[in-house]
Amino acid sequence: MNLLGISINHRTAPVELREALHLSEDEIRAFIQQTKDSAFAEGIVISTCNRTEIYAIPKSDKTSLKDLENLIKNYKSSFEVKDENFQHFISRESIEHLFRVACGIESLLIGDNQIFKQVKDSFLISEEMNFAGVLIRHVMDAATRVGKRAINETTISEGAVTVSYAAVQLVEKIFSNLQKKSALIIGTGETGEIAAKHLRYRGIGRLALTNRSFEKAEKLAAELKTAVFPFSNFKEHLHKFDIIVSATSAEGLIITKKDIEDAMKKRNYASMVLMDIAIPRDIDPESKKIDYVFYHDIDSLNIIVEQNLGKRKSEIPKVEKIIQEELDNFFEWYNSLEAAPTIKTLRDYFESVRSEEVEKNINKFSEDDKEKLEIITKRIINKILHHPTIELRKISESDLRAEDTAAKISVIRDLFGLNKKE
Amino acid sequence: MLPTIHTINVLLPFFYVATFAIYFYDFQQGGKKFENSKRLFLFLTLIFHFLYLLLRTIEFDHPPITNVFEIFTVLACSISFAYFILELVTDIRGTGPFIIIISIIFQVISTLFIQDLTEVKEVLRSNLLGIHVISALIGYSGITISSVYGVLYLILYNEIKLNKFGLIFNRLPSLEILERLSFIAAIIGFAFLTITIIIGIIWLPQAFPNITFADPKLIGTFAVWILYGIGLINKFLGKWRGKKLIILSIIGFCLAILSTMLTNFLGKSFHSFY
Repeated sequence: MNLLGISINHRTAPVELREALHLSEDEIRAFIQQTKDSAFAEGIVISTCNRTEIYAIPKSDKTSLKDLENLIKNYKSSFEVKDENFQHFISRESIEHLFRVACGIESLLIGDNQIFKQVKDSFLISEEMNFAGVLIRHVMDAATRVGKRAINETTISEGAVTVSYAAVQLVEKIFSNLQKKSALIIGTGETGEIAAKHLRYRGIGRLALTNRSFEKAEKLAAELKTAVFPFSNFKEHLHKFDIIVSATSAEGLIITKKDIEDAMKKRNYASMVLMDIAIPRDIDPESKKIDYVFYHDIDSLNIIVEQNLGKRKSEIPKVEKIIQEELDNFFEWYNSLEAAPTIKTLRDYFESVRSEEVEKNINKFSEDDKEKLEIITKRIINKILHHPTIELRKISESDLRAEDTAAKISVIRDLFGLNKKE
Repeated sequence: MLPTIHTINVLLPFFYVATFAIYFYDFQQGGKKFENSKRLFLFLTLIFHFLYLLLRTIEFDHPPITNVFEIFTVLACSISFAYFILELVTDIRGTGPFIIIISIIFQVISTLFIQDLTEVKEVLRSNLLGIHVISALIGYSGITISSVYGVLYLILYNEIKLNKFGLIFNRLPSLEILERLSFIAAIIGFAFLTITIIIGIIWLPQAFPNITFADPKLIGTFAVWILYGIGLINKFLGKWRGKKLIILSIIGFCLAILSTMLTNFLGKSFHSFY
């Protein structure tokens, strides 16, 4: 199978180059149009912040990986891309790599399941652009199966692997239902904003913000529909919150142990989680000594992240086994797309239908007619199959490319449901 | 029927150990492989245990509640049964090994020392006694489960405080859930202990005219009851929560075990039947 693949990813290219070669959805569409018009019959283009990948089946056997490489180089001609920035794949390697990408084991964050959705979205674009033929559809069906099996049969995507997810995982080990809890975000910079959005997404009951620049906090508050406290007096409200996330750029501590002690007294020592994700830290680490106060900083959250990454890495062999199984299944299907086995399967199918019907109705005929029935029905089947058999032989003997032959035979197999019956 | 009873008696600890093993394996691996089969295993063990109790009742013509080793096997069964119900109701499946191990301890002791007791004292053939013992067993099962969840709460509390994110952190439910499970089990335990005490007060003077209320078992049970009562009142009033309440529950459980041990093995009490 002449499926060519190229990949520029975090292993082969620096972030600047990856950013430069990133294709937006509109760019992917334009690129596909250009590719279709040139040398490629069908394919798929995947572009995320960490990788740009192109898989395509050439119209001619003379088209090489270099041609595919040149397409993207010419499309993004203002950037210098070296040969070593590309990974190259042919045939089985291409499909294997696509499967590995789809289930997240090639991702920077191993097991990241966002990529699975991105791969599926890329396929939809190919379909809309009429760039996905029979083969790419089957490849994508198999890739989707690999992705789903990896999620269901392994723990490759389990556990938090970013600090903000780890913070939520930790909070969920303390509180059972975030909908009944309240959180205060101190500092609405990038980190604070991510934390706020994360908590909102996880269904936090009540969310409030505070920031030195009140306007900035108000802007985010409007987006997230939350309350805002002035930074000057936010400490007076600490006791009202079950979760406090601090992510300011202050040089020193902004919340002392005494502040937390006072807040805990006011809330009758109901559990309080302090997430200090600022560098340098915002909250006095001594606060962890207070009963029912769960203080965690970046270092402790990183312990969770590292542990989970380790667990995900240990799941890779299981995922690779799934990939090999699905690759074998795919090529079993692909190899069946040859004329001779298809003719045999088609004849076997018709014969099974004939013999089944004859057997059901044989008693309605006299002894003399039973033999005639066999002969006549067999003759009918032979006559029906005569023309398709000749045409199938013609396809295999013609000068068509293997992919085109496979596509035609695939239609016949789908039409008669021959894949299911085998 | 006797050989069947003896065989089941020997097999029961193995059934509990097998159930514990599958729960523990699942806890350690954290997968979903045995999520349903472990529950089925526990169910079959319980069916087997119910059958054993039924056969004993028929064969020896009294429910197995007339001596401490008979009571231990009923207690083993009721603890696992209470957990089974709790697991069904809450769908929290990760805490099984910690409860089932308690059943193993009680069942192993019972299997080793239980005797074929056909003759029981006349005083022990009373319907009131039956209700008294059954409610006591449910009560003790409640406080046992409450204290197991309490211990798990304390372990998880310390692990989170000390940034230890190991197996316990990954597998156990949240602190709030553990606290709630411990609290619900304590309420059930307290309610049934109350019934036990009330029936005991009604039945005791009828059965033992010379009874003294200074009996060590009575004092022990009252102490446990008062301890749980204080804890629950303070919880309802919103004064106590978390660690404080849980430590009280664990102390109550230790006191209950201590009082049972002292009464049955060392002390002289009307509760000593051997």
